[in-house]
Amino acid sequence: MSQRSVTHWLIHHAARHAPESLAERLEEEWLADLEVRTSGVSRLRFAIGCCWATQMIAWEHQPSRAAVASTATAGRGVIAYADQNFGFISLRSSTFFLVASLHIVLIYGFMTALSHTHKSVVPDPLQNRDLPRSQPDRIPPPLPGPTIKNPPIEVPKPPIDIPYEQDLESGVATAILQEPINPLPPGLPTPHVAKRIDGGPGAGFPDTADFYPSHSIRLGEQGVSTVRVCVDAKGRLTSDPTTLKGSGSARLDEGALMLARAGSGHYRAATEDGQPVSSCYPLGIRFQLKN
Amino acid sequence: MGKKDANVRMSLQTLRVLESFLENPTEQLSGADVHQRCRIASGTLYPILLRLESAGWFVSQWESIDPSSAGRPRRRLYRLTSTGLRRASEVFASFNRGVLA
Repeated sequence: MSQRSVTHWLIHHAARHAPESLAERLEEEWLADLEVRTSGVSRLRFAIGCCWATQMIAWEHQPSRAAVASTATAGRGVIAYADQNFGFISLRSSTFFLVASLHIVLIYGFMTALSHTHKSVVPDPLQNRDLPRSQPDRIPPPLPGPTIKNPPIEVPKPPIDIPYEQDLESGVATAILQEPINPLPPGLPTPHVAKRIDGGPGAGFPDTADFYPSHSIRLGEQGVSTVRVCVDAKGRLTSDPTTLKGSGSARLDEGALMLARAGSGHYRAATEDGQPVSSCYPLGIRFQLKN
Repeated sequence: MGKKDANVRMSLQTLRVLESFLENPTEQLSGADVHQRCRIASGTLYPILLRLESAGWFVSQWESIDPSSAGRPRRRLYRLTSTGLRRASEVFASFNRGVLA
């Protein structure tokens, strides 16, 4: 079906539903006015508009409407026209405002319902409750493991062949050393063993309490952190201290490292034969709360 | 057609249709001509034309041409009556006096 036949069918359909006295006239009039329009869309809009016009014309030509019109008083001025009819608001405008109002009511309803739903999911304020102490779970006894029998270790006895003299009267045996035992080969000097004393915190070393982390104090954390420090002969750090053994708290370990760094220059250097030397040694730092 | 000198619902579209006729009160206009001047959709325009004709403000007649020789169908032409001209003038005069202001 071509577009031309569609528009003609629409106009014919519209005119057929018009009042009988106007049907033939309207169809011819509309078909004539349709020819003026060149655009297909414009012709289609015109034909659809004719369908709407038919509804309006049929509604206005109802007998009840005619009776109302015949009894209407003729007035002067626009206000009189407005009072008799619907004012300056046509039926189409009234329908438009009615539909728009319904949309506004629906949108408002949806927004209100959503806001109520949102309020209902707000949680109640937190409340503390003392729960009864639950019974600790009974730990089942460990399953019997495999029995490992250690085989007896037999250590062979070294052959001892030491000549000795036995006093027949007292029964005491006396070993006879044939030559003195000397593990070092002959001709080498006896090695010198230096007397070494490890270093540690010296005079003016910072107080541990000054580096006790405040958060650890609030939490009651205590422990010993062992750090490794390398100190030169003047008691100064030669490298950054490192944690050898943690206290179980990262905060305390960090406080111990800060204390170790702050004590640079106040370390007591290690000594060898009384002479201060550079050395690295572990330094235990205890963080303990006072009652 | 219908009564004469009856009241008409005076919407803005009706005023625009009357205005197009008042430009030249003796001119005869078809629905297509009014549409080109007022740009009112056909669904609104033709009920207004019929309403004004029923009220006696307009008269209409078929175009006096031979469709076969003209190559197009004849049009329905509308023209202001003396009553329509007077009433339309009163309506626009009331606007000028500020009746609706």
